[in-house]
Amino acid sequence: MIIVLLILHGLLAVTLLGAITHQALSAAPGAATAGPRSFMRRFRSVNPGAYANAVVVLFVVTTIGGGLLYPQYRLDVRTALEDMQMRAANGLFEIKEHFAAVGLGLLPTYWLFWRQPLMPQQATARRALTWLLAFIVWWNFLVGHVLNNIKGLMP
Amino acid sequence: MTPSTLSRYPSFPIFSILFSIVYLTCFYMDWAPFRYYPDARTFYLRPNPQAGPAILWYGWLAAAAVVSGAIAFVAPRRLTERLGPGWAWIVPLLTIIGILIYEKRWFV
Repeated sequence: MIIVLLILHGLLAVTLLGAITHQALSAAPGAATAGPRSFMRRFRSVNPGAYANAVVVLFVVTTIGGGLLYPQYRLDVRTALEDMQMRAANGLFEIKEHFAAVGLGLLPTYWLFWRQPLMPQQATARRALTWLLAFIVWWNFLVGHVLNNIKGLMP
Repeated sequence: MTPSTLSRYPSFPIFSILFSIVYLTCFYMDWAPFRYYPDARTFYLRPNPQAGPAILWYGWLAAAAVVSGAIAFVAPRRLTERLGPGWAWIVPLLTIIGILIYEKRWFV
């Protein structure tokens, strides 16, 4: 059961990563839609507002999944890391859990600022909130994968 | 802040600002309204070392949600309207920086 939940958590995280990355890059300054259709231009030329609801739902569901996995992590993985004197790995996870919490707190305002019609006076805040969430999602995704595979990664 | 979307949900930015502050305070003070002990599969209101390692994260989240939700709910509307949209991301950004500085202890 825990393996199924772990895989589901990972798949949801991949989906969230894709959505928030699309949105963050398309909301960045200079995301023009004219000109040659390169891969990056096509990647950025999405409607960023269309991702907001999906990001909120995916963030909440992925965090709930992480919360359900946490007890097993606390008993098995963290104990093993402590036994192996891997303080940095434990520190990375500590930061991951704090970032998840900060991200949860951001979601209501993030959702509000992406509601149509988009207010020009909220453009900077909207972009900053999106980039903050993107940073959190990328950090948590990478740390989660490193910790999940740490026995294979370390000699 | 007076745009129409914000006037319908004036408490959301207050919630986001307070959530990160309350969470950081609880975590820094090592205080949680409850703790979960996965070995015993039980929640306790007080520390119970005999039950094995504890998880405080659920308690920190609950405290941050309840406290910031309650304050945001009762906060005067004019306070929200005077608050610039920048605070909704500046405070969480400072919280993230504070977390990174504090958690440096794991890497030295």
